[in-house]
Amino acid sequence: MVVNIALGCLAAAVLIALYRVLRGPSWGDRITAFDFVSVSLAALIVTLALKTGLRSFLDVALIVSILGFLGTVAFARYLLRGKVMK
Amino acid sequence: MTPRLRRTAGVLAGLAPGGLWVVAGEAGTVAAAPVVQSTLISELLILFGCLFILAGAIGLLRFPDFYTRLHATTKLMTLGGLGLFGGAAVAFVGFDATSRVLLIAAFLFLTTPLSSYMIARAGYLRGLTPYREEGSVDEWQAKGDAVASLPRPVRPIPGNDPEG
Repeated sequence: MVVNIALGCLAAAVLIALYRVLRGPSWGDRITAFDFVSVSLAALIVTLALKTGLRSFLDVALIVSILGFLGTVAFARYLLRGKVMK
Repeated sequence: MTPRLRRTAGVLAGLAPGGLWVVAGEAGTVAAAPVVQSTLISELLILFGCLFILAGAIGLLRFPDFYTRLHATTKLMTLGGLGLFGGAAVAFVGFDATSRVLLIAAFLFLTTPLSSYMIARAGYLRGLTPYREEGSVDEWQAKGDAVASLPRPVRPIPGNDPEG
């Protein structure tokens, strides 16, 4: 079943990216891997919604992707300007 | 007219929300409509997407420095996410689920390059050194004035290891 293969691939991708978050030599690697984890988690939740047939997971995936993007932007702005908001 | 065709026609005409439509069975029983209808196209798209995301993770693991890792994850994440969410949108039955998956796909397609651009800009201006080879040039540094007008680093970041 393709959905099970997709769940395995995405779980492996999340684990590899978490290794890079914990290990990453510079802070840029950690932020990159964090962004990758958030998108992979959204994809994982959509795949889970396909497997279980529950449509509520789609809302969860939308919120996770929005929060991941906002977190990445906040990190980048903080490191560039020293503060997030003006 | 088969029940599935009638349901699709009803959803397309906006007459019925896809999830709440019930179909009368052969023997007079009422059965709920299936939420997921897996087809060959959706399975191929999902396989394509998840393999691309896995390739992005392998690039994140194997590439030598920050900028190359960012390059790998951004491109593979955008294309892979689009494939996976497109496959999910094909597989879901009903207008509400499909539109929601397409909304996630559009949001991701717009924001992933933007966030990667912001990370790369912050990394360059805060002094993360790129991986160098023989004959590498730094085109942005050669412009000089353009870089000098940009905001300077405010203070050193604790634990910053530019050689990583």
